[in-house]
Amino acid sequence: MKRLKQFWWILPFAFIALYPVTLAGGSPYWSGLLIFVGIYVILAVGLDLLMGYTGQISVGHAAYFAIGAYTSGILTAKYGFSPLGAMLIGMILTGAVAWALGRPVLALKEYYLAMATLAFNEIVVALIIGLEWLTGGASGLRDIPPFSLFGFVLANHMHYYYFVWAIVIIVIASSRAVVQSPFGRTLVAIHSDEIAARAFGVDTARYKTRIFVLASIFASMAGSLFTHYMGFLAPDDFGVLTSINILVMLFLGGIGTIYGPILGAFFMKLLPELTYQIHDYELLINGLILIVVLVFMPKGLFGIVTVIRDRIFAKADK
Amino acid sequence: MTDKDETILRVVDVTKSFDGIQALEDVSFGVKTGHIKALIGPNGAGKTTLLNAINGILPPDQGHIHFLGHDVVGQTADRIASLGLSRTFQLIRMFTINNATVLDNVMLGAHMRLHPNIFESIFRRGKVDKGEREARERAMELLKFVGLENAHNVVPTALSFGNQRLVELARSLMTDPKMLLLDEPASGLNDTEVDGFTHLLLAIRNMGITILLVEHNMKLVMNIADDIVVLDFGKKLAEGTPQAICANPEVIEAYLGGAQKECVIS
Repeated sequence: MKRLKQFWWILPFAFIALYPVTLAGGSPYWSGLLIFVGIYVILAVGLDLLMGYTGQISVGHAAYFAIGAYTSGILTAKYGFSPLGAMLIGMILTGAVAWALGRPVLALKEYYLAMATLAFNEIVVALIIGLEWLTGGASGLRDIPPFSLFGFVLANHMHYYYFVWAIVIIVIASSRAVVQSPFGRTLVAIHSDEIAARAFGVDTARYKTRIFVLASIFASMAGSLFTHYMGFLAPDDFGVLTSINILVMLFLGGIGTIYGPILGAFFMKLLPELTYQIHDYELLINGLILIVVLVFMPKGLFGIVTVIRDRIFAKADK
Repeated sequence: MTDKDETILRVVDVTKSFDGIQALEDVSFGVKTGHIKALIGPNGAGKTTLLNAINGILPPDQGHIHFLGHDVVGQTADRIASLGLSRTFQLIRMFTINNATVLDNVMLGAHMRLHPNIFESIFRRGKVDKGEREARERAMELLKFVGLENAHNVVPTALSFGNQRLVELARSLMTDPKMLLLDEPASGLNDTEVDGFTHLLLAIRNMGITILLVEHNMKLVMNIADDIVVLDFGKKLAEGTPQAICANPEVIEAYLGGAQKECVIS
Protein backbone atom coordinates (compact mmCIF):
# COMPACT_ATOMS: atom_id res chain seq x y z
CA MET A 1 0.00 0.00 0.00
CA LYS A 2 2.87 2.33 0.75
CA ARG A 3 4.18 1.85 -2.75
CA LEU A 4 0.75 2.66 -4.10
CA LYS A 5 0.65 5.83 -2.02
CA GLN A 6 3.74 7.12 -3.77
CA PHE A 7 2.04 6.84 -7.11
CA TRP A 8 -1.38 8.25 -6.28
CA TRP A 9 -0.63 11.25 -8.48
CA ILE A 10 -0.86 9.00 -11.52
CA LEU A 11 -4.65 9.27 -11.20
CA PRO A 12 -4.98 12.79 -12.61
CA PHE A 13 -2.55 11.98 -15.40
CA ALA A 14 -4.57 8.88 -16.25
CA PHE A 15 -7.60 11.13 -16.41
CA ILE A 16 -5.78 13.47 -18.79
CA ALA A 17 -4.72 10.59 -21.03
CA LEU A 18 -8.12 8.91 -21.02
CA TYR A 19 -10.19 12.07 -21.18
CA PRO A 20 -11.15 11.68 -24.86
CA VAL A 21 -12.89 8.36 -24.12
CA THR A 22 -14.62 9.69 -21.00
CA LEU A 23 -17.34 12.17 -20.14
CA ALA A 24 -17.25 14.73 -22.84
CA GLY A 25 -15.87 12.27 -25.37
CA GLY A 26 -13.43 14.81 -26.77
CA SER A 27 -15.89 17.50 -27.79
CA PRO A 28 -14.12 20.56 -29.21
CA TYR A 29 -15.64 22.71 -26.49
CA TRP A 30 -14.28 20.66 -23.60
CA SER A 31 -10.93 19.95 -25.19
CA GLY A 32 -10.55 23.66 -25.87
CA LEU A 33 -11.23 24.36 -22.23
CA LEU A 34 -8.74 21.74 -21.12
CA ILE A 35 -6.11 23.18 -23.46
CA PHE A 36 -6.55 26.52 -21.68
CA VAL A 37 -6.35 24.77 -18.32
CA GLY A 38 -3.05 23.18 -19.41
CA ILE A 39 -1.63 26.52 -20.53
CA TYR A 40 -2.54 28.09 -17.19
CA VAL A 41 -1.09 25.14 -15.30
CA ILE A 42 2.28 25.85 -16.97
CA LEU A 43 2.05 29.52 -15.96
CA ALA A 44 1.00 28.79 -12.38
CA VAL A 45 3.57 26.03 -11.79
CA GLY A 46 6.35 28.40 -12.91
CA LEU A 47 5.05 31.08 -10.58
CA ASP A 48 4.94 28.49 -7.78
CA LEU A 49 8.69 27.93 -8.20
CA LEU A 50 9.26 31.66 -7.86
CA MET A 51 6.71 32.44 -5.13
CA GLY A 52 5.91 29.21 -3.30
CA TYR A 53 9.48 27.99 -3.05
CA THR A 54 11.71 31.06 -3.37
CA GLY A 55 9.32 33.55 -1.75
CA GLN A 56 9.63 36.19 -4.48
CA ILE A 57 6.32 37.80 -5.37
CA SER A 58 5.48 38.54 -8.99
CA VAL A 59 2.38 40.46 -9.98
CA GLY A 60 3.49 40.59 -13.59
CA HIS A 61 3.89 37.01 -14.71
CA ALA A 62 1.68 37.67 -17.77
CA ALA A 63 4.52 39.82 -19.16
CA TYR A 64 6.60 36.70 -19.92
CA PHE A 65 3.49 34.93 -21.19
CA ALA A 66 3.12 37.90 -23.58
CA ILE A 67 6.73 37.88 -24.78
CA GLY A 68 6.48 34.18 -25.65
CA ALA A 69 3.08 34.59 -27.28
CA TYR A 70 4.04 37.57 -29.40
CA THR A 71 7.45 36.17 -30.38
CA SER A 72 5.74 33.02 -31.65
CA GLY A 73 2.89 34.97 -33.25
CA ILE A 74 5.08 37.52 -35.04
CA LEU A 75 7.73 35.07 -36.24
CA THR A 76 5.23 32.54 -37.61
CA ALA A 77 2.59 34.91 -39.01
CA LYS A 78 4.91 37.54 -40.49
CA TYR A 79 8.24 35.87 -41.09
CA GLY A 80 7.30 32.31 -41.85
CA PHE A 81 9.22 30.65 -39.01
CA SER A 82 8.23 27.14 -37.98
CA PRO A 83 6.13 27.18 -34.78
CA LEU A 84 8.64 24.98 -32.93
CA GLY A 85 11.56 27.23 -33.94
CA ALA A 86 9.60 30.35 -32.99
CA MET A 87 8.72 28.78 -29.64
CA LEU A 88 12.39 28.06 -28.89
CA ILE A 89 13.39 31.60 -29.92
CA GLY A 90 10.63 32.92 -27.65
CA MET A 91 11.99 30.87 -24.74
CA ILE A 92 15.52 32.17 -25.30
CA LEU A 93 14.33 35.76 -25.66
CA THR A 94 12.09 35.61 -22.58
CA GLY A 95 14.84 33.91 -20.58
CA ALA A 96 17.28 36.66 -21.62
CA VAL A 97 14.84 39.40 -20.63
CA ALA A 98 14.21 37.72 -17.26
CA TRP A 99 17.94 37.27 -16.70
CA ALA A 100 18.64 40.95 -17.43
CA LEU A 101 15.76 42.06 -15.18
CA GLY A 102 16.43 39.50 -12.46
CA ARG A 103 19.35 41.02 -10.56
CA PRO A 104 18.05 44.59 -10.24
CA VAL A 105 14.39 43.67 -9.74
CA LEU A 106 14.86 40.72 -7.38
CA ALA A 107 17.09 42.87 -5.16
CA LEU A 108 13.80 44.54 -4.18
CA LYS A 109 11.61 43.07 -1.47
CA GLU A 110 7.92 42.58 -0.83
CA TYR A 111 5.77 45.58 -1.88
CA TYR A 112 8.58 47.09 -3.93
CA LEU A 113 9.09 43.83 -5.79
CA ALA A 114 5.33 43.56 -6.35
CA MET A 115 5.23 47.11 -7.75
CA ALA A 116 8.25 46.56 -10.01
CA THR A 117 6.87 43.34 -11.50
CA LEU A 118 3.47 44.94 -11.97
CA ALA A 119 5.08 47.92 -13.69
CA PHE A 120 6.97 45.61 -16.05
CA ASN A 121 3.70 43.94 -17.00
CA GLU A 122 2.23 47.36 -17.84
CA ILE A 123 5.32 48.29 -19.86
CA VAL A 124 5.04 45.12 -21.94
CA VAL A 125 1.34 45.76 -22.64
CA ALA A 126 2.13 49.40 -23.54
CA LEU A 127 4.85 48.20 -25.93
CA ILE A 128 2.48 45.72 -27.58
CA ILE A 129 -0.05 48.49 -28.15
CA GLY A 130 2.60 51.02 -29.19
CA LEU A 131 4.61 48.88 -31.63
CA GLU A 132 1.65 48.50 -33.96
CA TRP A 133 3.76 47.80 -37.09
CA LEU A 134 5.17 44.74 -35.35
CA THR A 135 2.46 43.49 -33.01
CA GLY A 136 -0.73 44.68 -34.63
CA GLY A 137 -1.29 46.99 -31.66
CA ALA A 138 -4.66 47.16 -29.96
CA SER A 139 -6.47 45.69 -32.95
CA GLY A 140 -4.48 42.49 -32.64
CA LEU A 141 -2.17 40.16 -34.53
CA ARG A 142 -3.91 37.91 -37.10
CA ASP A 143 -3.28 34.91 -39.31
CA ILE A 144 -1.19 32.90 -36.86
CA PRO A 145 -0.89 29.35 -38.18
CA PRO A 146 -1.69 26.30 -36.04
CA PHE A 147 1.18 24.50 -34.36
CA SER A 148 3.06 21.99 -36.48
CA LEU A 149 5.75 19.51 -35.53
CA PHE A 150 8.18 18.44 -38.26
CA GLY A 151 5.57 19.00 -40.96
CA PHE A 152 2.70 17.43 -39.02
CA VAL A 153 0.06 20.12 -38.45
CA LEU A 154 -1.71 19.90 -35.09
CA ALA A 155 -4.91 21.39 -36.47
CA ASN A 156 -7.11 18.78 -34.82
CA HIS A 157 -8.04 19.92 -31.33
CA MET A 158 -7.41 16.44 -29.87
CA HIS A 159 -3.86 16.42 -31.23
CA TYR A 160 -3.24 19.82 -29.74
CA TYR A 161 -4.79 18.73 -26.47
CA TYR A 162 -2.26 15.89 -26.16
CA PHE A 163 0.60 18.13 -27.25
CA VAL A 164 -0.20 20.79 -24.64
CA TRP A 165 -0.63 18.25 -21.85
CA ALA A 166 2.60 16.49 -22.81
CA ILE A 167 4.35 19.81 -22.26
CA VAL A 168 2.43 20.34 -19.01
CA ILE A 169 3.71 17.00 -17.75
CA ILE A 170 7.29 17.86 -18.77
CA VAL A 171 7.00 21.18 -16.94
CA ILE A 172 5.61 19.52 -13.81
CA ALA A 173 8.20 16.74 -13.85
CA SER A 174 11.03 19.27 -14.29
CA SER A 175 9.66 21.44 -11.52
CA ARG A 176 9.38 18.47 -9.15
CA ALA A 177 12.95 17.51 -10.03
CA VAL A 178 14.15 21.03 -9.26
CA VAL A 179 12.37 21.36 -5.91
CA GLN A 180 13.27 17.82 -4.79
CA SER A 181 16.97 18.46 -5.05
CA PRO A 182 19.60 20.52 -3.27
CA PHE A 183 18.52 23.35 -5.56
CA GLY A 184 15.02 23.25 -4.04
CA ARG A 185 16.48 23.23 -0.54
CA THR A 186 18.49 26.33 -1.41
CA LEU A 187 15.33 28.06 -2.70
CA VAL A 188 13.51 27.25 0.55
CA ALA A 189 16.46 28.62 2.53
CA ILE A 190 16.26 31.89 0.57
CA HIS A 191 12.52 32.02 1.21
CA SER A 192 12.96 31.39 4.95
CA ASP A 193 15.85 33.70 5.71
CA GLU A 194 18.03 35.38 3.10
CA ILE A 195 20.68 36.52 5.57
CA ALA A 196 21.13 33.03 6.99
CA ALA A 197 21.19 31.57 3.46
CA ARG A 198 24.00 33.96 2.50
CA ALA A 199 25.92 33.01 5.63
CA PHE A 200 25.89 29.43 4.31
CA GLY A 201 27.38 30.39 0.99
CA VAL A 202 24.21 30.93 -1.05
CA ASP A 203 24.64 33.67 -3.65
CA THR A 204 20.99 34.65 -3.18
CA ALA A 205 20.84 37.07 -6.11
CA ARG A 206 22.11 34.40 -8.49
CA TYR A 207 19.69 31.73 -7.27
CA LYS A 208 16.70 34.05 -7.33
CA THR A 209 17.60 35.08 -10.86
CA ARG A 210 17.98 31.48 -12.01
CA ILE A 211 14.55 30.40 -10.80
CA PHE A 212 13.04 33.62 -12.18
CA VAL A 213 14.51 32.75 -15.59
CA LEU A 214 13.09 29.21 -15.42
CA ALA A 215 9.61 30.47 -14.43
CA SER A 216 9.75 33.00 -17.28
CA ILE A 217 10.77 30.36 -19.81
CA PHE A 218 7.80 28.24 -18.72
CA ALA A 219 5.54 31.27 -19.15
CA SER A 220 7.00 31.84 -22.61
CA MET A 221 6.19 28.23 -23.60
CA ALA A 222 2.65 28.73 -22.34
CA GLY A 223 2.47 31.90 -24.46
CA SER A 224 3.55 30.07 -27.61
CA LEU A 225 1.01 27.29 -27.01
CA PHE A 226 -1.69 29.91 -26.43
CA THR A 227 -0.80 31.79 -29.63
CA HIS A 228 -1.13 28.81 -31.94
CA TYR A 229 -4.35 27.65 -30.37
CA MET A 230 -5.99 31.08 -30.64
CA GLY A 231 -4.64 32.01 -34.07
CA PHE A 232 -5.10 35.62 -33.00
CA LEU A 233 -3.46 37.77 -30.31
CA ALA A 234 -4.68 40.90 -28.56
CA PRO A 235 -3.03 42.79 -25.70
CA ASP A 236 -6.09 42.29 -23.43
CA ASP A 237 -5.07 38.71 -22.73
CA PHE A 238 -1.74 39.75 -21.20
CA GLY A 239 -2.65 42.50 -18.75
CA VAL A 240 -2.22 42.65 -15.00
CA LEU A 241 -5.63 40.96 -14.61
CA THR A 242 -4.15 37.82 -16.20
CA SER A 243 -1.19 38.01 -13.82
CA ILE A 244 -3.58 38.25 -10.90
CA ASN A 245 -5.60 35.31 -12.20
CA ILE A 246 -2.43 33.21 -12.23
CA LEU A 247 -1.75 34.28 -8.65
CA VAL A 248 -5.28 33.33 -7.65
CA MET A 249 -4.87 29.88 -9.22
CA LEU A 250 -1.67 29.45 -7.28
CA PHE A 251 -3.15 30.39 -3.90
CA LEU A 252 -6.40 28.57 -4.56
CA GLY A 253 -4.62 25.37 -5.54
CA GLY A 254 -2.02 25.49 -2.79
CA ILE A 255 1.21 27.44 -2.91
CA GLY A 256 4.56 25.65 -2.60
CA THR A 257 3.26 22.28 -3.79
CA ILE A 258 3.73 22.20 -7.61
CA TYR A 259 0.59 20.01 -7.87
CA GLY A 260 -1.66 22.61 -6.26
CA PRO A 261 -1.59 25.01 -9.21
CA ILE A 262 -3.01 22.23 -11.42
CA LEU A 263 -6.12 22.12 -9.23
CA GLY A 264 -6.20 25.90 -9.06
CA ALA A 265 -6.09 26.23 -12.85
CA PHE A 266 -8.82 23.60 -13.31
CA PHE A 267 -10.98 25.30 -10.75
CA MET A 268 -10.55 28.83 -12.08
CA LYS A 269 -11.10 27.81 -15.70
CA LEU A 270 -14.03 25.45 -15.09
CA LEU A 271 -15.85 27.57 -12.52
CA PRO A 272 -17.10 30.13 -15.06
CA GLU A 273 -18.51 27.24 -17.11
CA LEU A 274 -20.56 26.14 -14.13
CA THR A 275 -21.74 29.61 -13.23
CA TYR A 276 -22.31 31.02 -16.71
CA GLN A 277 -26.05 31.46 -16.15
CA ILE A 278 -25.22 33.97 -13.47
CA HIS A 279 -22.43 35.50 -15.49
CA ASP A 280 -22.99 38.95 -14.03
CA TYR A 281 -21.92 37.68 -10.62
CA GLU A 282 -18.89 35.74 -11.83
CA LEU A 283 -16.29 38.07 -10.29
CA LEU A 284 -18.23 38.19 -7.04
CA ILE A 285 -18.40 34.40 -6.82
CA ASN A 286 -14.72 34.01 -7.71
CA GLY A 287 -13.81 36.55 -5.05
CA LEU A 288 -15.94 34.86 -2.39
CA ILE A 289 -14.48 31.44 -3.16
CA LEU A 290 -10.96 32.85 -2.95
CA ILE A 291 -11.66 34.46 0.42
CA VAL A 292 -13.19 31.25 1.80
CA VAL A 293 -10.22 29.20 0.60
CA LEU A 294 -7.60 31.60 1.94
CA VAL A 295 -9.29 31.95 5.34
CA PHE A 296 -10.27 28.33 5.95
CA MET A 297 -7.83 26.36 3.82
CA PRO A 298 -4.44 28.07 3.81
CA LYS A 299 -2.95 25.10 2.00
CA GLY A 300 -5.51 25.45 -0.77
CA LEU A 301 -7.32 22.73 -2.65
CA PHE A 302 -4.22 20.55 -2.68
CA GLY A 303 -4.26 20.63 1.13
CA ILE A 304 -7.75 19.09 1.05
CA VAL A 305 -6.63 16.46 -1.45
CA THR A 306 -3.71 15.42 0.75
CA VAL A 307 -5.97 15.16 3.80
CA ILE A 308 -8.40 12.91 1.88
CA ARG A 309 -5.54 10.88 0.42
CA ASP A 310 -3.97 10.35 3.85
CA ARG A 311 -7.34 9.28 5.29
CA ILE A 312 -7.92 6.74 2.55
CA PHE A 313 -4.45 5.27 2.85
CA ALA A 314 -4.53 5.38 6.66
CA LYS A 315 -7.66 3.18 6.55
CA ALA A 316 -6.20 0.93 3.91
CA ASP A 317 -3.00 0.48 5.94
CA LYS A 318 -5.02 -0.93 8.86
CA MET B 1 48.48 20.83 9.81
CA THR B 2 48.73 24.55 10.21
CA ASP B 3 51.14 26.10 12.65
CA LYS B 4 49.47 26.83 15.97
CA ASP B 5 50.97 30.30 16.10
CA GLU B 6 49.48 31.32 12.80
CA THR B 7 46.75 33.95 12.97
CA ILE B 8 43.67 32.81 11.03
CA LEU B 9 41.64 35.97 11.62
CA ARG B 10 42.97 39.47 12.09
CA VAL B 11 40.67 42.39 12.79
CA VAL B 12 42.38 45.76 12.24
CA ASP B 13 40.93 49.13 13.33
CA VAL B 14 37.35 48.14 12.56
CA THR B 15 34.85 50.97 12.92
CA LYS B 16 31.10 50.85 12.39
CA SER B 17 28.36 53.32 13.22
CA PHE B 18 24.59 53.18 12.88
CA ASP B 19 22.86 56.54 12.43
CA GLY B 20 25.64 58.38 14.20
CA ILE B 21 25.87 55.88 17.06
CA GLN B 22 29.35 54.46 17.26
CA ALA B 23 28.86 50.67 17.49
CA LEU B 24 32.52 49.78 16.96
CA GLU B 25 35.52 52.07 17.23
CA ASP B 26 39.00 51.06 16.08
CA VAL B 27 38.70 47.48 17.28
CA SER B 28 41.77 45.33 16.61
CA PHE B 29 42.62 41.80 17.64
CA GLY B 30 43.70 38.48 16.20
CA VAL B 31 42.57 34.88 16.56
CA LYS B 32 45.22 32.17 16.38
CA THR B 33 44.59 29.09 14.31
CA GLY B 34 43.19 26.27 16.42
CA HIS B 35 42.31 28.48 19.38
CA ILE B 36 39.03 29.16 21.08
CA LYS B 37 38.86 32.90 21.55
CA ALA B 38 36.07 34.40 23.62
CA LEU B 39 34.57 37.80 22.89
CA ILE B 40 32.86 39.17 25.98
CA GLY B 41 31.37 42.43 27.14
CA PRO B 42 28.13 43.99 28.36
CA ASN B 43 24.98 43.99 26.21
CA GLY B 44 25.27 46.59 23.48
CA ALA B 45 29.07 46.51 23.51
CA GLY B 46 29.15 45.66 19.78
CA LYS B 47 29.86 41.92 19.90
CA THR B 48 27.18 40.85 17.41
CA THR B 49 27.97 43.88 15.23
CA LEU B 50 31.57 42.68 15.10
CA LEU B 51 30.53 39.15 14.10
CA ASN B 52 28.26 40.60 11.38
CA ALA B 53 31.19 42.67 10.11
CA ILE B 54 33.50 39.65 10.04
CA ASN B 55 31.13 37.38 8.12
CA GLY B 56 30.07 40.13 5.72
CA ILE B 57 26.40 40.60 6.65
CA LEU B 58 27.00 44.24 7.66
CA PRO B 59 30.45 45.33 6.45
CA PRO B 60 32.36 47.81 8.62
CA ASP B 61 32.68 51.50 7.70
CA GLN B 62 36.44 51.42 8.11
CA GLY B 63 39.20 48.99 8.91
CA HIS B 64 40.40 45.67 7.61
CA ILE B 65 39.49 42.08 8.36
CA HIS B 66 41.93 39.43 7.19
CA PHE B 67 40.70 35.85 7.11
CA LEU B 68 43.25 33.27 5.97
CA GLY B 69 45.19 36.06 4.31
CA HIS B 70 42.22 37.46 2.34
CA ASP B 71 40.97 40.97 3.08
CA VAL B 72 37.28 40.17 3.38
CA VAL B 73 35.93 43.70 3.91
CA GLY B 74 33.65 44.43 0.97
CA GLN B 75 33.26 40.75 0.10
CA THR B 76 29.74 39.33 0.17
CA ALA B 77 28.68 37.03 3.00
CA ASP B 78 28.39 34.03 0.66
CA ARG B 79 31.91 34.59 -0.65
CA ILE B 80 33.29 34.83 2.89
CA ALA B 81 31.42 31.64 3.81
CA SER B 82 33.06 29.90 0.87
CA LEU B 83 36.50 30.76 2.30
CA GLY B 84 35.65 28.53 5.27
CA LEU B 85 34.03 30.86 7.78
CA SER B 86 30.71 29.75 9.23
CA ARG B 87 28.58 31.00 12.08
CA THR B 88 25.57 30.58 14.32
CA PHE B 89 23.16 33.33 15.26
CA GLN B 90 22.21 34.88 18.59
CA LEU B 91 18.58 34.98 17.47
CA ILE B 92 18.18 31.52 16.01
CA ARG B 93 17.71 31.52 12.25
CA MET B 94 16.18 28.25 11.07
CA PHE B 95 14.86 27.47 7.62
CA THR B 96 11.20 26.68 8.20
CA ILE B 97 9.31 27.20 4.93
CA ASN B 98 7.56 24.18 3.38
CA ASN B 99 7.97 22.15 6.59
CA ALA B 100 11.75 22.02 6.24
CA THR B 101 13.05 19.49 8.78
CA VAL B 102 16.05 19.53 11.07
CA LEU B 103 17.83 17.32 8.53
CA ASP B 104 16.98 19.74 5.69
CA ASN B 105 18.46 22.56 7.75
CA VAL B 106 21.70 20.70 8.39
CA MET B 107 21.90 19.57 4.76
CA LEU B 108 21.77 23.16 3.58
CA GLY B 109 25.27 23.35 5.00
CA ALA B 110 26.30 21.18 2.03
CA HIS B 111 25.26 23.92 -0.40
CA MET B 112 28.80 25.00 -1.18
CA ARG B 113 29.89 21.42 -1.80
CA LEU B 114 26.92 20.47 -4.00
CA HIS B 115 26.71 23.69 -6.04
CA PRO B 116 23.17 22.81 -7.13
CA ASN B 117 21.98 23.99 -10.51
CA ILE B 118 18.78 23.59 -12.48
CA PHE B 119 20.27 21.63 -15.37
CA GLU B 120 21.74 18.91 -13.16
CA SER B 121 18.60 18.76 -11.00
CA ILE B 122 16.59 17.79 -14.08
CA PHE B 123 19.00 15.96 -16.36
CA ARG B 124 21.67 14.47 -14.11
CA ARG B 125 19.65 12.87 -11.33
CA GLY B 126 22.21 10.13 -10.77
CA LYS B 127 24.90 12.64 -9.85
CA VAL B 128 22.49 14.78 -7.80
CA ASP B 129 21.13 11.79 -5.88
CA LYS B 130 24.62 10.54 -5.12
CA GLY B 131 25.60 13.95 -3.74
CA GLU B 132 22.39 13.97 -1.70
CA ARG B 133 23.06 10.54 -0.23
CA GLU B 134 26.56 11.57 0.85
CA ALA B 135 25.29 14.85 2.27
CA ARG B 136 22.54 13.02 4.17
CA GLU B 137 25.06 10.60 5.70
CA ARG B 138 27.32 13.43 6.76
CA ALA B 139 24.37 15.41 8.15
CA MET B 140 23.23 12.39 10.19
CA GLU B 141 26.77 11.99 11.56
CA LEU B 142 26.78 15.61 12.65
CA LEU B 143 23.32 15.34 14.20
CA LYS B 144 24.61 12.35 16.12
CA PHE B 145 27.64 14.40 17.16
CA VAL B 146 25.37 17.04 18.71
CA GLY B 147 23.02 14.38 20.08
CA LEU B 148 19.99 15.05 17.89
CA GLU B 149 20.00 12.11 15.50
CA ASN B 150 16.51 11.11 16.65
CA ALA B 151 15.13 14.56 15.87
CA HIS B 152 16.24 14.64 12.23
CA ASN B 153 12.73 14.37 10.85
CA VAL B 154 10.96 17.00 12.96
CA VAL B 155 10.54 20.68 12.16
CA PRO B 156 13.18 22.69 14.04
CA THR B 157 10.64 24.92 15.76
CA ALA B 158 9.36 21.85 17.63
CA LEU B 159 12.71 21.69 19.45
CA SER B 160 13.78 23.65 22.53
CA PHE B 161 15.92 26.75 21.96
CA GLY B 162 18.92 24.87 23.29
CA ASN B 163 18.41 22.09 20.76
CA GLN B 164 17.81 24.56 17.94
CA ARG B 165 21.19 26.05 18.76
CA LEU B 166 22.68 22.59 18.41
CA VAL B 167 21.01 22.25 14.99
CA GLU B 168 22.63 25.56 14.03
CA LEU B 169 25.96 24.21 15.20
CA ALA B 170 25.55 21.01 13.14
CA ARG B 171 24.52 23.08 10.12
CA SER B 172 27.67 25.20 10.44
CA LEU B 173 29.88 22.13 10.82
CA MET B 174 28.26 20.73 7.67
CA THR B 175 30.08 23.44 5.68
CA ASP B 176 33.47 21.97 6.73
CA PRO B 177 34.51 25.33 8.16
CA LYS B 178 38.00 26.38 9.08
CA MET B 179 36.58 28.81 11.61
CA LEU B 180 33.29 29.16 13.47
CA LEU B 181 31.75 32.33 14.87
CA LEU B 182 29.34 31.37 17.65
CA ASP B 183 26.97 34.08 18.90
CA GLU B 184 25.86 33.25 22.47
CA PRO B 185 25.45 29.54 21.75
CA ALA B 186 24.90 28.63 25.41
CA SER B 187 22.16 31.14 26.20
CA GLY B 188 19.02 29.34 27.25
CA LEU B 189 20.89 26.16 28.18
CA ASN B 190 20.65 24.72 31.68
CA ASP B 191 23.77 23.74 33.66
CA THR B 192 23.82 20.13 32.46
CA GLU B 193 23.39 21.26 28.86
CA VAL B 194 26.21 23.77 29.27
CA ASP B 195 28.51 20.96 30.41
CA GLY B 196 27.59 18.91 27.34
CA PHE B 197 28.08 21.93 25.15
CA THR B 198 31.51 22.59 26.65
CA HIS B 199 32.59 19.11 25.56
CA LEU B 200 31.20 19.70 22.07
CA LEU B 201 33.23 22.89 21.68
CA LEU B 202 36.39 21.19 22.84
CA ALA B 203 35.74 18.34 20.38
CA ILE B 204 35.27 20.89 17.60
CA ARG B 205 38.57 22.52 18.51
CA ASN B 206 40.18 19.09 18.38
CA MET B 207 38.95 18.78 14.80
CA GLY B 208 41.23 21.73 14.06
CA ILE B 209 38.42 24.27 13.76
CA THR B 210 39.13 27.70 15.23
CA ILE B 211 36.31 29.26 17.27
CA LEU B 212 35.43 32.85 18.05
CA LEU B 213 32.86 32.64 20.83
CA VAL B 214 30.56 35.41 22.00
CA GLU B 215 29.24 34.29 25.36
CA HIS B 216 27.93 35.63 28.67
CA ASN B 217 28.31 32.36 30.56
CA MET B 218 31.64 33.11 32.27
CA LYS B 219 31.98 29.58 33.61
CA LEU B 220 31.90 28.23 30.06
CA VAL B 221 34.27 30.94 28.83
CA MET B 222 36.76 30.35 31.63
CA ASN B 223 36.75 26.61 31.05
CA ILE B 224 37.49 26.59 27.36
CA ALA B 225 38.82 29.92 26.11
CA ASP B 226 42.50 30.10 25.18
CA ASP B 227 42.26 33.84 25.36
CA ILE B 228 39.66 36.56 25.69
CA VAL B 229 38.97 39.96 24.17
CA VAL B 230 36.65 42.34 26.02
CA LEU B 231 34.52 44.98 24.29
CA ASP B 232 32.82 47.87 26.04
CA PHE B 233 30.88 50.63 24.26
CA GLY B 234 32.32 49.57 20.93
CA LYS B 235 35.94 49.77 22.06
CA LYS B 236 38.40 47.09 22.99
CA LEU B 237 38.77 47.24 26.75
CA ALA B 238 41.22 44.40 27.27
CA GLU B 239 42.69 41.31 25.71
CA GLY B 240 44.56 38.44 27.28
CA THR B 241 44.46 35.07 28.97
CA PRO B 242 41.42 34.17 31.11
CA GLN B 243 43.49 34.68 34.26
CA ALA B 244 44.65 38.13 33.19
CA ILE B 245 41.12 39.19 32.19
CA CYS B 246 39.72 38.03 35.53
CA ALA B 247 42.26 40.09 37.38
CA ASN B 248 41.84 43.19 35.23
CA PRO B 249 40.20 45.93 37.34
CA GLU B 250 38.76 47.70 34.29
CA VAL B 251 37.05 44.53 33.13
CA ILE B 252 35.68 43.87 36.62
CA GLU B 253 34.36 47.42 36.75
CA ALA B 254 32.72 47.37 33.32
CA TYR B 255 31.48 43.85 32.98
CA LEU B 256 32.30 41.13 35.43
CA GLY B 257 31.16 42.88 38.59
CA GLY B 258 29.77 40.28 40.94
CA ALA B 259 30.37 37.56 38.36
CA GLN B 260 34.05 37.73 39.15
CA LYS B 261 33.63 34.76 41.46
CA GLU B 262 32.83 32.67 38.36
CA CYS B 263 36.30 33.49 37.11
CA VAL B 264 37.58 30.19 38.38
CA ILE B 265 39.05 27.63 36.08
CA SER B 266 37.58 24.34 37.19
